[in-house]
Amino acid sequence: MNDREVYIIGAGMTQLYRKAPMPLDELGRQAIFAAVKDAGINFKEIGSVTVGNMGGLSGAICIGQRIACSLGLGGVPMINVESACSSGAMAVNKAVEHVASGKCDVALAVGVEHLSSVRGSGTAFAPDSRDPEGLQGATMPGIYAMRTRRYMHEFGATLEDMALVAVKNRRHAMNNPYSSFRTPITVEEVVNARMVADPLTLLMSCPNADGGASVVVATKEVAQRLGKKLVKVAASHITSGIFKNSFRDFTEMEITIRGAKESYEEAGLGPDDISMVECHDAFVIGEVLYLEAMGFCKHGEAIPFLKSGQSDYGGKVVFSPRGGLLSCGHPTGCSGCAQIVEATWQLRGEAGDRQVPGCKAALTHVTGGGVYGLDNAACTIHILTN
Amino acid sequence: MAEQVVFHPDILCIPEGGEKPYLIAYKCSCGSAWFPKLPFCPNCWSDKLEPMPLSRTGKLYTYTIVAIPQPGLQAPLAYGFVNFPEGVSVCAQIDVQGDLETIQKALHIDMDVEVAAGVIRKDKDGNETISYRFKPI
Repeated sequence: MNDREVYIIGAGMTQLYRKAPMPLDELGRQAIFAAVKDAGINFKEIGSVTVGNMGGLSGAICIGQRIACSLGLGGVPMINVESACSSGAMAVNKAVEHVASGKCDVALAVGVEHLSSVRGSGTAFAPDSRDPEGLQGATMPGIYAMRTRRYMHEFGATLEDMALVAVKNRRHAMNNPYSSFRTPITVEEVVNARMVADPLTLLMSCPNADGGASVVVATKEVAQRLGKKLVKVAASHITSGIFKNSFRDFTEMEITIRGAKESYEEAGLGPDDISMVECHDAFVIGEVLYLEAMGFCKHGEAIPFLKSGQSDYGGKVVFSPRGGLLSCGHPTGCSGCAQIVEATWQLRGEAGDRQVPGCKAALTHVTGGGVYGLDNAACTIHILTN
Repeated sequence: MAEQVVFHPDILCIPEGGEKPYLIAYKCSCGSAWFPKLPFCPNCWSDKLEPMPLSRTGKLYTYTIVAIPQPGLQAPLAYGFVNFPEGVSVCAQIDVQGDLETIQKALHIDMDVEVAAGVIRKDKDGNETISYRFKPI
């Protein structure tokens, strides 16, 4: 797709809060400010702004303009995008396209969400109630719980196995100052935590969070002028779910298998080249299914892969070095962009105590939306290289 | 006054003679079958979809018992996907009463369940929505 090569020149984010002490638009502005300062450009060079936010939650319209125009960024194309949890990553995809196509040389993307102001704890995200599954009471935790149960049935995995994902990601988050979930947890605590959707417990599910994350992308010429370590966008890929109501295999994530394959082709890379992944681990089963869907191990072999440390530091690929959604929390519209911020820092060698040694290529993956007949509504994947 | 509203009359048949209810999928001339009724076949865009009654029983492919349900629904609530012999998979609530442990004991993957009609939700005024549910056999 790339007419021109695109590079990430700036990345920044806010703390991911349990309950942010400032409103949504301020979270967005702080993230933008951090990313633009990191890039070291004049903000007047920004030729387009794309904002990812999970529509319908804040009730706000034209959220991008509300966030960015008072920063002096108005007068350029400003686009609001929404596909549930994929929104922030989709915003980055649009910015990449604007630079790749020659519409502008510098483009900005921001993902932002303030969940604590719109959702009480102890509530579950659910598909639209007009949706036949939604009407029956389906919730997102319930859908992933059904995947978990079938996976355990087919491959003999245990709840203790599933809990290992949560324990690992929490250990990673302990080195991430942006996370608000940094107290270590044990397998026993994860398995015995309060039930959300049998067999998934609270600690097998991502917490709600508030936050903003932003990246600035630009042409190679601009990136070289700035003199920072180059981070190239090797793939920026979006796909959508395929409607199906014949028998589905709940242990395979068709949309991610397809999206990953197409992203690898776009980047000219394969799973063996990837040093780290931030995936959509909204529930522990996510990382299990995505290890397989992205080709890091064969179908049904994720648990032995995980147990032998292959998805951890020192293994084949580090999954969720920042702690993933499970231990960073999941500010839905922000998360996809926050993953890309983390990947940028890792590829520059700026990730501090959680640095993935010799990080050469990073993959970020975020799906979105429970819609009747679809695996997921959206799947957005980025592959970045240095 | 509270009312009962029967949802999905085009996909749930409750026979008047007291026979057991069943679901209706829609078959397209291209060979695809869809549930619920769609205006156009997603495979070929034909609008000629013929009703195809599904078997009264199917196999429970997977399920969950939610402790945190959607607002307005009572927990614990079981629901799952049931595969019908006609090749269609349907998600609905499973009618098992009791606490979490009782429901856990009553359900297992690949068990046979039958289609039932029942209350799937009530609104804040007590109005009941009647639609399809599954019941262990």
